[in-house]
Amino acid sequence: MTATAASLPPLRRRRHTWIAKGYLFAMPLLVVLALAVLLPALYNVVIAFFDYNAMTQAWRFAGLKNFVKLWDSPYFWNSFVVTLIWVVGNITLQLAVGLAVALALNSIVRFRGAFTGIMMIPWISSFVVVAILFLWIYHPQLGVLNDLLLRLGAIERPVAWLASPELAQLSLILANTWKFFPLVMITLFAGLQDVSTEQLEAADVDGANPFQKFRMVTLPTIMPSISTAVLLSTIWAYNSFTLPIIMTAGGPLRATEILGLFIYKQAFDSFDFGAAAACSLVLFVQILVVIMLYLRVLDKR
Amino acid sequence: MARQRSKRARNRLRLALAYGFLTVAATVVVFPYLWMALTSFKPIEEFFTYPLQWLSENWTLGQYRAVLEDPRFLKSLWNSFVVSTTVTAVSLLLSIPAAYGLTRLRVRGGKGVLVMILSSQFFPPMIFFVPFYIILSQFQLLNTISGLVFAYLSVTLPVCTWMIATTFRNIPYELEEAARVDGCGDIRTILEVVLRMSLPGIITAGLFAFVLAWQEYIFALLYTTTTEAQTAPVILFFFLGQHQIDYGRLMAAAVLLSLPIIVPFMVMQRYFRQGHGEGGVKG
Repeated sequence: MTATAASLPPLRRRRHTWIAKGYLFAMPLLVVLALAVLLPALYNVVIAFFDYNAMTQAWRFAGLKNFVKLWDSPYFWNSFVVTLIWVVGNITLQLAVGLAVALALNSIVRFRGAFTGIMMIPWISSFVVVAILFLWIYHPQLGVLNDLLLRLGAIERPVAWLASPELAQLSLILANTWKFFPLVMITLFAGLQDVSTEQLEAADVDGANPFQKFRMVTLPTIMPSISTAVLLSTIWAYNSFTLPIIMTAGGPLRATEILGLFIYKQAFDSFDFGAAAACSLVLFVQILVVIMLYLRVLDKR
Repeated sequence: MARQRSKRARNRLRLALAYGFLTVAATVVVFPYLWMALTSFKPIEEFFTYPLQWLSENWTLGQYRAVLEDPRFLKSLWNSFVVSTTVTAVSLLLSIPAAYGLTRLRVRGGKGVLVMILSSQFFPPMIFFVPFYIILSQFQLLNTISGLVFAYLSVTLPVCTWMIATTFRNIPYELEEAARVDGCGDIRTILEVVLRMSLPGIITAGLFAFVLAWQEYIFALLYTTTTEAQTAPVILFFFLGQHQIDYGRLMAAAVLLSLPIIVPFMVMQRYFRQGHGEGGVKG
């Protein structure tokens, strides 16, 4: 992607008189982004250190009070843990499914395009529609999942997929995996194109079984793609909101109340804007840590 | 010979496994939509038979009629349409010249600025919950289409700019220079060379912005509380909020909401398959 500048004939490269003009072209966009992204993001940092009184609509400087409040709140820690489980569960499942599908796609030639197209459907699907589809599928009495499992004899009584604290998180993760595995799949599929056929054949000659070939040849080559996929699915998992709020709204008994929902409730149920902003910073920092870890891993290679 | 044969047999087994697995996966992927469509054509009485009746015996368009006669839903569809087209137009209008300036004019630090713009894509939407609410209410923009457009731009602009910049980078500079030698100015060069050559990429970016706005839910939920500006995804949620959830109507509405995404999807699919689709969707 960066090759253009380097591969240009030297004659054209000295032309830096266009710098000002280049930024002039970008100016309208940069102004709007400053207003719609940068400013609100900074504003959010400020709000985190203020106390908002919903009754009087007055703001008062609060120092670290909002953060202390979070630290002392069992509901915050509940959300913290629920989010960790949510993120780890999503990464694991998405990676497993995405890798399996990518490998299968990579080993076929006929119908590859058609299969890839079908696999991308969930990703392009609207979050609300996905939430509603799975709400309907998981429905305890009228849902098709229970119907199917009952017919197969896998369960004896209808299961309350979203209403039992033990299952709700897993059911949500499964629905979210359905929505997001294509992102992992397409990333890994791109990585698989770099796997060298010669090395695979050489391993064949050495008598390696498919599992060994995967571990010794394929896996090292696609490792960068795997880290990228993990990074992306981690970020999306941390940023989740629509699926959980429609399907469980954090329930039952806050078993699925990830930080996104906690922040929402702080802001628009309790109108504690300060605490909501503070919590969103905590969430943001977690994401930044993940990104830093990722860059570290990339650096090492 | 024997080894050759066993290898071929193994390969065939591998292929069979791959196709088998993909067929199962494709079924799981398609099934929810199939089930949605089946439900939407089913009369309500058949919902409650047990075990479930998968295929209806009395297909009906009743749910669709009910949804399409609901003025709230129609209004919300219209709102969605207005918001999405406005967001798309503004996004393209701002991101095309910016992408051009930051890639084709070879500015110092252009790449860095682009990466910074894209990285804002990964900000959690939650950091905007409160500030947007306050800003929009300050400017009397809560419950307005303009307010939603403003909020959505924060999501669509970075992706659009990145996607368009990516396509711009792939145009050979020689073409642009040839146009300049022929006496074209900036604007004509952009219009006649760069834009024409990158039209597929621009269309893809535009469709992407449209789909993002069309399915956006979070900001619409937070910043619109009256039917005046509420978009279809939010109204869909209200079908749910009623005491007795009418799943038939809900599914019909979901089908209608999904339809406008199909065409963009088919166009964009090609783009994703080339591996550019890592920008992503917020949710």
